Amino acid sequence: MVYTKKSPALFIIGVIMLAIWYMADSGMLAPYIEHLAAGKKYKYLSELTTIPMYFGIIAAAIGLWQWFGSHKEGHWDYYSSSVAGGMFILLIAMLVRWFVAPEIAVISMSMGKVGDTGKYIHKLLGLNYVVLGIVAGIIIVNVFKIPDWAQNGVRLSRLGLKTGVILLGSLYSAAELTNLGGLSIIMIGFFVLGSVGMVLWMGARRNIPNSMGGVLSAGLGVCGVSATVASAPVVQAKSVEIAYTIGTILLWGVGCMFVFPIIGNMLGMSYVQFGAWAGTGILNSAQVAGAALAYQPDGIETLKVAEIFNITRVLILPIIVLWLAVWYVKREENATQVNVGQVIFEKFPVFVLGFILLFALSTTGVFSPPVHYKGKYFDNTKVSAKKMLTDEQVRVLIANADKVQREDRKAALARLIEQRKVASIEDDATLRGLANARIMGKKADKILKHAHKAVRHTARKIKAFRQWITWLFAFGLVGLGMQITIGSMKQAGGQPAVIGGVVGLTKAVLSLIVVLMLVKETI
Amino acid sequence: MNSVSHVLLASHGTEGALAAEQMALSMCAKGAKLHHLIVVPTLWQGMTGDDWLNNGSTRDTFRRYLEGELGREVDEHCERVNKFAEENELEYSKEIVLGEPDECLIDSSKRDKFDLVIMGSPRPKGKKGLRSRMKTEILTRALTIPLLIVPYPTQ
Repeated sequence: MVYTKKSPALFIIGVIMLAIWYMADSGMLAPYIEHLAAGKKYKYLSELTTIPMYFGIIAAAIGLWQWFGSHKEGHWDYYSSSVAGGMFILLIAMLVRWFVAPEIAVISMSMGKVGDTGKYIHKLLGLNYVVLGIVAGIIIVNVFKIPDWAQNGVRLSRLGLKTGVILLGSLYSAAELTNLGGLSIIMIGFFVLGSVGMVLWMGARRNIPNSMGGVLSAGLGVCGVSATVASAPVVQAKSVEIAYTIGTILLWGVGCMFVFPIIGNMLGMSYVQFGAWAGTGILNSAQVAGAALAYQPDGIETLKVAEIFNITRVLILPIIVLWLAVWYVKREENATQVNVGQVIFEKFPVFVLGFILLFALSTTGVFSPPVHYKGKYFDNTKVSAKKMLTDEQVRVLIANADKVQREDRKAALARLIEQRKVASIEDDATLRGLANARIMGKKADKILKHAHKAVRHTARKIKAFRQWITWLFAFGLVGLGMQITIGSMKQAGGQPAVIGGVVGLTKAVLSLIVVLMLVKETI
Repeated sequence: MNSVSHVLLASHGTEGALAAEQMALSMCAKGAKLHHLIVVPTLWQGMTGDDWLNNGSTRDTFRRYLEGELGREVDEHCERVNKFAEENELEYSKEIVLGEPDECLIDSSKRDKFDLVIMGSPRPKGKKGLRSRMKTEILTRALTIPLLIVPYPTQ
C-alpha cells in the first residue's frame, strides 16, 4: 500500500507558512501585531520572522514532490506520508500561539479584571496557546474530521511529546531531580496504590466483573488512557468496559485540564505546588502536561515538576500491569498466564532512558558550564543600559530602604542603589532573599526582581532547548487534541463513571490538601 | 406476516436489535433472503484516545486485542442470527462494515433489491450501552425502500 497521498495540501500549508513569514517580516502585519500586543511588546516577533520561513520552505518543497512525484511502497513512503499531518499540526500550533491566544487575551483585557481577583478572565481560566491548541485539535477532529492526507502525521504528536520530555532532562539540576524525584515517588506511590485499592474495593462492593475492575483501577490509578491501553489485554477487558473506562478518563481529564489551573490561580499556588498537584491529581497523563503549560505558558518550571510526576507514573505502570495480571489470574479460571519478563520489557517506557541520558549529559557541562545553575549564570558586565535601574526605581528603593534591618541586606541594597545593577553573585543571592521576604513592599520587590533578571543570563544552548521544548509540547498537545473524539468521550457511563467520579474527585481533593500542607513553594 | 422475500436487517446485538431480529425472522417467507448488516462504529478508532506514554508495541497489542474482542462479539452475534435463519429456512448472508451506522445502512440498502429494512429502536434513556445511535432522520430521508423500526422490548 502506498501511504503518501497525491494532494496539494502540504504545498498549500507551506505557502501559508511562507505568507505568514513574509507578511510579518515585511511589516504588513505590523498594525495587527500592534493590536495583539495591546500596548506591550509582542513577544513572538522573533519566532514569527523565522520559524514559518524554515518550515514553510520544507513543507512547500516536500509538498510539491508529494503532489507531482511518483510514490512507491516502502519505508520511505510511510515516513514521507507523515510529513503533511505533522505540518498541519504545526500550522495549527503556530496560528493559535501567535494569533488566536493573543487575540483572546486582548478581548479578555478589554473586558477588565474579574471581581477582586485582580486577574483577567483569560489568565484566570488559563486560556493560553496550550489549552486553546488542544481545544483547536478537539474541534478539528470532531467537527471537520482529520483529512486523509493528515492521518498518518497526526500520530507524530506522540513523538513530539516524548522528544519534549527527553529534552526536558537537560534542564534539571541534580538537587532538583533528587528532591522532585523523592517527592513524586512518595506522592505517586501513595495516590496510585490508594486509588487502585479504592477502585478494586468499590468494584467488589458494586459487583463489577474482575476485568472491569482491573482495567478501571489501572486507568484511574496510574496514568489514565495509557494505563488502560496497557492493561486491557492483560485483564481481558470486554470492549464495552474499555469504552466506558476510556470515555470516563477522557471526559474527566479534559475537564481537569480546565479546572485545575483555575483553582491553582485562585489559591495562588506556586509553580512547584501546582506541578505536583497536577502530576498527582489529574487522571490522564496528557492533560497533566496540558494543565502545567496552561498554568505557566511562558515558562517551564511547572512543566518540569509535573513531568517528573508523569515519569514516575509511567515507571510504575509496568509494575501495576504485572500486579493486575497476577491478581486477575488468581481470580479468573480462564485467564491467560502472563510472562513477567515480556510484560516488563514491552511496557518499559524507552523514552525515559533518553530523559536520563540528557540529564546525565547536562551534568557533565556539555550544554552549559557546570558552574551554571540549570543553564543560568551570573554576569553583571552584560547588563544593557536599558536594564540598569532608572532614577524612579532608585527613588523607590531609597524610600523603602529603612525597612531593611539585616546588615548584609542593607549593604547589598546600598551597592545596588549606587551601581544601579547588582554588584556581585553574593549580592544577588542576598537581594533575592530580600525580595522573597517581602519586606520593602510590592513595588520595591518588583524592582529587586528586575535587577536580578538583568544579571542572570541563560546559556544559549539551554535557551534553545527551552524554546524547542515549548514547541514540542505545543505540537504534541495539539496533535493529541486531534485524537480526543467526542464519540469516545460520550461512552463515559455505567459503573466506571460512578467509580471514576468518586475516585477522581477524592484523588484531586486529597492531593491538593497534601500539596498545600507538605510541598514548599520552591524546590 | 411471512410475506417479505428479501430483508436487510441492521442489528448489532443490543436488546433493541434482538427485537428487530425476531421481527425479521417472523416476517420473512420460507426461502426468503435475510441480509444481516453489522456496523462497527468508528468510535472504536478513537479508543487509544490521547495515549502517548506507551510504546508502539503496547499500542499494537491493545489494537489487536480490541479488534479480536470486537471480532469475537460480531462472530457470536452472526452465528446466533444464522442459526435462527437456518431454523426458519431462510437464506442468510452477512456484511460487516466499519463506519457510521446510518451511512452504512444507506449504502448497504443501495447494493441490492431489498423489500424492507428492519432495525431496532434507540435504547431508552438511562439504559446501559454504547452511545452510537442511528440517525433516523438522515436515514428516513435517504432510504428508498420501506423501513421498519421495531419497538424496544421493554417499551
